[in-house]
Amino acid sequence: MAARLRRLPIATRMLVSALIMVLLVLPAAGGLLSWNFREAVNAAFDKRLESLLNVVLADVSYDARTDALVVSRALGDSRFDSVFSGWYWQVRDDGERVLASRSLWDQRLAVSQRRGLTFRTMTGPREQSLRVLERDIRLPNLNDALHVQVAADLTEVETQIASFQALLWLSLATLGSLLVALIALQVRWGLEPLRRVEKSLRAVEQGRQASVETDLPKELARLAGAINTVLERDGRLIERGRTAAGNLAHALKTPVAVLTTLAERLPQEQQQIMQAELKRLDDAVRHHLARASAAGPVALGVERKLNAVLKPVVDGINRLAVRRGLVFEERLPKNLQVRMDAQDLQEIVGNLLENAVNWAVSSVVLEASIKNSELLISVTDDGPGMSPESRQQALSRGGRLDQSKPGSGLGLSIVSELVALHEGKLQLGDRTGGGLCAQVLLPLPPAV
Amino acid sequence: MKVLLVEDDEALASGLTLALDDAGVLVEVAGDGRSADFLVSTERYDAIILDLGLPDGNGTQWLSAWRDRGNELPVLILTARDRWSDKAAGFSAGADDYVTKPFETAEILFRLRALVRRAHGHAHPVIRVGEISLDTHSAQVTRAGMPVALTAQEFRLLSHLVHAAPRVVSRSELTEHVYDGDAEPDSNVIDVQVSRLRRKLGSHSIETLRGQGYRMLAGVQAR
Repeated sequence: MAARLRRLPIATRMLVSALIMVLLVLPAAGGLLSWNFREAVNAAFDKRLESLLNVVLADVSYDARTDALVVSRALGDSRFDSVFSGWYWQVRDDGERVLASRSLWDQRLAVSQRRGLTFRTMTGPREQSLRVLERDIRLPNLNDALHVQVAADLTEVETQIASFQALLWLSLATLGSLLVALIALQVRWGLEPLRRVEKSLRAVEQGRQASVETDLPKELARLAGAINTVLERDGRLIERGRTAAGNLAHALKTPVAVLTTLAERLPQEQQQIMQAELKRLDDAVRHHLARASAAGPVALGVERKLNAVLKPVVDGINRLAVRRGLVFEERLPKNLQVRMDAQDLQEIVGNLLENAVNWAVSSVVLEASIKNSELLISVTDDGPGMSPESRQQALSRGGRLDQSKPGSGLGLSIVSELVALHEGKLQLGDRTGGGLCAQVLLPLPPAV
Repeated sequence: MKVLLVEDDEALASGLTLALDDAGVLVEVAGDGRSADFLVSTERYDAIILDLGLPDGNGTQWLSAWRDRGNELPVLILTARDRWSDKAAGFSAGADDYVTKPFETAEILFRLRALVRRAHGHAHPVIRVGEISLDTHSAQVTRAGMPVALTAQEFRLLSHLVHAAPRVVSRSELTEHVYDGDAEPDSNVIDVQVSRLRRKLGSHSIETLRGQGYRMLAGVQAR
């Protein structure tokens, strides 16, 4: 899980974090705004109720002649006159004296027990949710305290708040989606150079380009430059190794050849010793040169057609086979693509074919196929074949099978080493009807 | 059999010349591509042994030039570079076979004889003409199954006649292929050697065609 998280693409990371931000921050801001608005609206409403209460308080008086409460002038708002409008006032004492707005009609508001200025919310006539403000006062000519109340329907406030909230959430949602869209654009534009690097790398891997594009933002241009340097040095190193190996081979082999021809003129006994030592020298040189010249598995390699890579070898073996009176059959599939160093592949197949041509009585066959994402190359000859012991020996380092047969040298053991370098396998089997069937299995690098 | 050895290393060239000479092969040496080029265009050889690393250019370049001029002589490449990329270049230049350094003389002889034999159209290593057979691998001559002892020069002479059979071989061709270019033999030497061969192989084995040359006879003795 942690590993998967570490490999999450950059674009996904940025989008996910932006989404989290939008989903957390915007609703929090919305909630806060909405709460503040509600508070402010409620406070303003209460203020309005308070001023209405003050008007009633200022106007109420007691007429001792009629033993009745009097409000000298009506509250300006007409809603106090229309029945059950939700706007009410009421003045009463603890006894029978009651005065109320016309809007309250035959209903009366319940009185709280508290004395001072009290706000509360209650249910009024017709299930109206009312905000009530009340206060007790004493009039100079009346013994009882008067409970003065002003009430207003909260629906108005609630509607106001609801419409504000609707607007708020709508604009927040718009803002959110706009943000997400902009972030997506930003990610796209911001990561575009990275995508170019990736595309360019793929082109290099598939051999369509020799180097990675460097026309990039400065941070990435350096990275691309570094990759190019490594690629170039890699190629140069292989090339230099091969050239050095080739030159060393040339420098060493001519003197060894001179000694070999001279040794043939020595008395039998000395000749055998000399020849054995010279052979050892030659084997060691060939063995190490083959290794030094091999590129091995390459990180970035060109994908090529197998039959095109092997054409020079196949042509050469063809000529050799004709000269030696053999039938050479090349059965390579037309469109088989491989991503492997061309010279290594030529070396492996060339040595196998050379061995087969040296031993074959009349025919040599070269075949190739893909099996379970492995490249299978098989070379079959109708020669004498090999015993299990000689197979074992051939697959071991420097195994030399038959010194009497010219040209049968390190071939198979060099193939075995090269194949191992490419993490493949060399198998030596029997051909039905006699002869050797050498099979090379090479893992194919995953397609890029 | 007369071959041109193109090899710039003098020690190797002289060693190989000695060894091939012992086996009855006449060798002329060229130390570089230019002199080889001259010899190829003026002398007649049965084959060329060509070293690829020459002081004046790669052997493959000289070989392609010869092939371009229509020279079809069998060419055996001698190379120190045994990577397939190098060998493939040799083949595409027109080589017929190759031997990598270091080599044994037997290996060179084996390849050389096979190349020359095939160039004359003989697929089998043992060439038979009448009751004479010549094993190109072992350089053995038998008459009706019995081994015949020959000198090196006699063997060369017979080998050339046998390879060419049933064609008539002119005296000048024999001179070129059997004898060293510097030591031109008078015609008498050839006559003497032919009559010696007749003594060893039977009087009807080699026919003399007056004014044309010699020819192996397959005729009456064949069983």
